[in-house]
Amino acid sequence: MQYNRPLFLGNEPKPMIEPKRVLRALAEHWALIEPLCERFDQGTLSLVELRHHVARQQVESTPQDITQLLDVWIRLDILVPVAKSPNRFELNAQIHDFLAYLRREHRLGLCLEIEAYLRHLERLAGHIQDAFDNRDSDDLARQLRLLDMRVRDVLKKLDNDEQALVAVAERAKTSNRQIPLRQRYAEVLATWDEYVEPMIQLVNADGAFEQGVRKVETVLLKLLGEQARLGHLVDDDMLLRTHARILEMQTSAQLTLRHARELLLPLREEARRHNAVTRGAALALSVIRRKGLDALPQAAMPLFTRPQSTFLGSASQVEAYVYALARFEPKPARFPKAHKPSSGALPRAPRTVKEMTDRCEQALPLPDLMVWLLEQEPEGATDELLYWFSRLSREKRFKRQRLDRRDYTTHEHRVSLRSFALTSSREDATTAPTDTNASPAHAS
Amino acid sequence: MHLDLSELSQLAPIFRELFKGFHVSRRDPELYAQLSNFQDQYRTLFKALGFELVCDTRGFYYFVPDMAAAQVNKTAQRLSLFTFILVEHLADQGRDPMAVLDGGSLGRDELPSLLDKYRDLFLQAEVQTVDELEEKILRRMTQLGFAHEEGGIYRFLPPMHRFLDVCLAVQQDRDLAATLHSDLPLPTPTLVEEESPEALNRTDDPLDLSPFEGEESEEQALARAIREEQQEIDA
Repeated sequence: MQYNRPLFLGNEPKPMIEPKRVLRALAEHWALIEPLCERFDQGTLSLVELRHHVARQQVESTPQDITQLLDVWIRLDILVPVAKSPNRFELNAQIHDFLAYLRREHRLGLCLEIEAYLRHLERLAGHIQDAFDNRDSDDLARQLRLLDMRVRDVLKKLDNDEQALVAVAERAKTSNRQIPLRQRYAEVLATWDEYVEPMIQLVNADGAFEQGVRKVETVLLKLLGEQARLGHLVDDDMLLRTHARILEMQTSAQLTLRHARELLLPLREEARRHNAVTRGAALALSVIRRKGLDALPQAAMPLFTRPQSTFLGSASQVEAYVYALARFEPKPARFPKAHKPSSGALPRAPRTVKEMTDRCEQALPLPDLMVWLLEQEPEGATDELLYWFSRLSREKRFKRQRLDRRDYTTHEHRVSLRSFALTSSREDATTAPTDTNASPAHAS
Repeated sequence: MHLDLSELSQLAPIFRELFKGFHVSRRDPELYAQLSNFQDQYRTLFKALGFELVCDTRGFYYFVPDMAAAQVNKTAQRLSLFTFILVEHLADQGRDPMAVLDGGSLGRDELPSLLDKYRDLFLQAEVQTVDELEEKILRRMTQLGFAHEEGGIYRFLPPMHRFLDVCLAVQQDRDLAATLHSDLPLPTPTLVEEESPEALNRTDDPLDLSPFEGEESEEQALARAIREEQQEIDA
């Protein structure tokens, strides 16, 4: 029960704690207190946990030693019992802050705290003005000192916050890369939303910070002028020093904010990008699930240019292709002898793609491509006709419309296929602009 | 611009690779160094030849094919689908998709479970077995310079950003949620595709009477028209 003593001494005046003893205890037990600090950063500790921690640090100490040590810390108010949980302890808040300062650990404050300080500075500027108007030099000096101290508080706080922001960024960067980025950067995102964003508003040209600084500055500068005119109530140096500190505070706030943005913005963007990628993938998959892979647009699909040499065509097409090449040596043609009348038809040069597409284009519109081909090449081999069918129906200059399946009789075979009606795609191109105006609502 | 061909010492291999649809990144240090050192020269030369060399600041180079002479293929569809699946799968597992796809790796042993989980989607890409997944997707990724395989580990390379960009484009498209209920298509990166027997069969077999892939439905034509109009407005 002895550990609960401070709780039950609630109404009694607290005994005076000698600062030297506290400092000495901290110095003497630093090796034990420092690791405990980290634990207390996470929360409170029960008496058993406390004893356990100390025992781990001081293996050779007896339970009595530990009890004695903890008793000293409690008596010196280094450890205080948690309200309503007398068997749990925490570091005295003041000591905790002091230790955090010594350990260069910084907890990010609230933007609202700075705003509150600023409002207070504005009020102090009002009091300074009143004291001067009343020609009360003591009050004026006191208010100026208060103002100076408050500005120092803000500076201290800004410095602390900046260090805390660095720590936030470092923690995000060095944490396990295997855990999701959203978790890894949760602190960054929260810090941005809760500190940086309000700070941006605060330090804005029309924000509370600038307004407060301007107000205090105006009062101080006016005071300097008035003192010169009406006589000195306080030393000008004091006013000038306070003014300089105000300006320092303003610069410091802007630098802190800039630093915070530089540190956290890239991380925030990375986290946002990560979220966007994950969301985008999920959205795309849901579209594909509903509409199939072909929901991916034909127009934006992967494309490739293919060299001619890979064309699959009939023997004549290959020949025609080679025929068109500049260095092609044609098969030796048998020229008819002048004195002999020619027997049979002359060998015909193979048709080229250009020739066929031109002919086809001139014959547009074609109600049935296959019928047209059979008319054009009644003696043509089936593979050659099918090649032309395939080639012409894919020609970009033509627009096709699928016909019903039917049989076609070539010179050699009967073929069953779904032919196309062809029209010129150029005509469509000229009418296209009117089509593009169609509302998506009419898509179906 | 004056072009000194003697400076372009890697012209032949660079052209060969880019023409095949390969993405050159730091994984191929010689080609990459040449391209970075003589970026403008290469770009000018290729432009004169009718090829557009894209220099992505994230560290890779590739050809964008001429739209007019290009043919449709399924590769980018499959690779996009695989990327979407992988991002979702990794996020579901609590892993960081960006860390994996931006320079991270995926073990071959992870493929069976991936295939099992997304069998319905892979089916749409005509992938039914792990072998097909490796053959049709991961091997194509390595051939195109998106990934590198070594000892059963696939390491993803910077060109994967092209697919991550698709995810971003999808997410940033405010209307896309609406497309779940409409026919507007998703964007897909344009890849240069090397020849494959599959592509040849599909496009040029005279006896292939299956519907032509280039054929647009009315809805697709409308979507395309809207997209083109949007591009004009943006331009």
